[in-house]
Amino acid sequence: MSDSLEPIIRFDHASFGFPGVIALKDISLSINAGEFVGVIGPNGSGKTTLCRAILGLMAPVEGHLHIFDCACDALRCHHRAKIGYLPQKGVVDRNFPVTVLETVMMGRYGALGLFTRPGAKDRAIAMEALSHVEMDKHKDTALGHLSGGQQQRVFIARALAQQPKVLLLDEPTTGLDMTAQHNVIELIEHLHDELRLTIVLITHDINMIRSRVDRLVLLKTRLFASGPPAEVLKPDILSQVYGKDLVITDKDFIIVEDYHHHH
Amino acid sequence: MIELFTYDFMQRSLLAAAMVGGLCSVVGVFVVLRGLAFVGAGTAHAAFAGVALGYLMGWPPLVLAIIFGLATVWITGWVEEKGRMKLDVSIGILYTTTMALAILFIGLMKTYNAEVYGYLFGSVLSVTSDELRIIGGLSVLVLGLIVLFSKELYFIAFDQEMAEASGVPARRIFFLLLTLVALTVVVSLKTVGAILVFAMILIPASTAYQLTSSLRTLTLYSIVIGVTTAVAGVVISATWDVPSGPAIVLLATTVFFISVLFSPKRMKRAVQVHAH
Repeated sequence: MSDSLEPIIRFDHASFGFPGVIALKDISLSINAGEFVGVIGPNGSGKTTLCRAILGLMAPVEGHLHIFDCACDALRCHHRAKIGYLPQKGVVDRNFPVTVLETVMMGRYGALGLFTRPGAKDRAIAMEALSHVEMDKHKDTALGHLSGGQQQRVFIARALAQQPKVLLLDEPTTGLDMTAQHNVIELIEHLHDELRLTIVLITHDINMIRSRVDRLVLLKTRLFASGPPAEVLKPDILSQVYGKDLVITDKDFIIVEDYHHHH
Repeated sequence: MIELFTYDFMQRSLLAAAMVGGLCSVVGVFVVLRGLAFVGAGTAHAAFAGVALGYLMGWPPLVLAIIFGLATVWITGWVEEKGRMKLDVSIGILYTTTMALAILFIGLMKTYNAEVYGYLFGSVLSVTSDELRIIGGLSVLVLGLIVLFSKELYFIAFDQEMAEASGVPARRIFFLLLTLVALTVVVSLKTVGAILVFAMILIPASTAYQLTSSLRTLTLYSIVIGVTTAVAGVVISATWDVPSGPAIVLLATTVFFISVLFSPKRMKRAVQVHAH
């Protein structure tokens, strides 16, 4: 469980979206320092909106959101630099001409601020981040030449180079083969244990994270459930959210048909 | 041939071509990586409308070119940010509107004005000392701003939303980039003309894109290709008496196709690095 109960992200009856189209409604949720939180829910349940809100890219239309005790509207760039973000695979152009080290160095830019050039210290931080994800040997390799799993490791290193307090990961295993999925999740768990990072992991893969997270947050436009995995992953709760798309096997393996139909 | 280089006009032309070639190729790196090719083409035509209005009203043409160029890129950037319309649609409308204005302004002129056409087709061999100073001044300004904000410009070209999420003031940097594109177009207008200026911005960076997978090397290659083809184009133009703009652009295009054929990236595409 988490080291302390100091909330660093606090949603207080917050709703997000545009007038007439509410993506997330009346969310009250606190994420504490050092916690490992998994966010699950069917397609269109507001997972990505939650992610954008935590990043300070979306202000609540109702209610409040506080990040590091700072109202979301007033979030400044140096606050954002404290959140390391791994976007969904496919959002970033993987053929962009950039090396592994150049990619990870970008993680330093927000923290450095304008007019300051990255120096030897930043390079050392970037190299340390690369060694955390075991990609330091590939620092001069073109990003586009790496496999999907290796690229994900590099993007995690980029987020780590920010020296963040929170690591926000949006579907980090999507599009990876089974071995790479397993390796990436193990890496995230290892980073949580070793660096005492607060981790918010958005995923559709319930089975992959259920034994690793402190808490699961189940979304379906509203906050449907939040608590230890054993409390959230009950057939009656899940079937209310996923409906007939849900299959629970006799070994308690949860299969959500809906996701595979849409991807 | 050597004698050619002793003429003042030739020295001015070569200097102008080198500066414009270098400037366009640096700005081009960000334009290519951020996917703003069409924005630049639209800006060039908007700036030309400013030049035409300047000559019609007797106002300074370059100042009006800057105003028209900046208005176009800022409106485009605002439309993209608000998500009101697809970027290519909004720039397509502005592009044709400003071109219609340019034709209207030229039509309203009572006499034929060869200087206006110089801005449309480019005439590097007739660059004056005063124009050279303006090109030099604006080049220093644009390159200075690029050096100052290079890390942020690279980041927004890579992924603007990720840059913003990481604490970079990405929206302001995006508008800075659009402003730099507009200023570069205006600086280059006299040298290569409104129709061809965008080739000077796109082709060196696109050529370099074929040759490397590193941002730093990409920028370096782009500058070398931009300056070399611009200077060589002027020499070809003066030696064989062909128009300078097409000479520069066709030479750059030839280099681009050669780079596509021999691109190491293309050859290596199938190669994957295996870790562990």
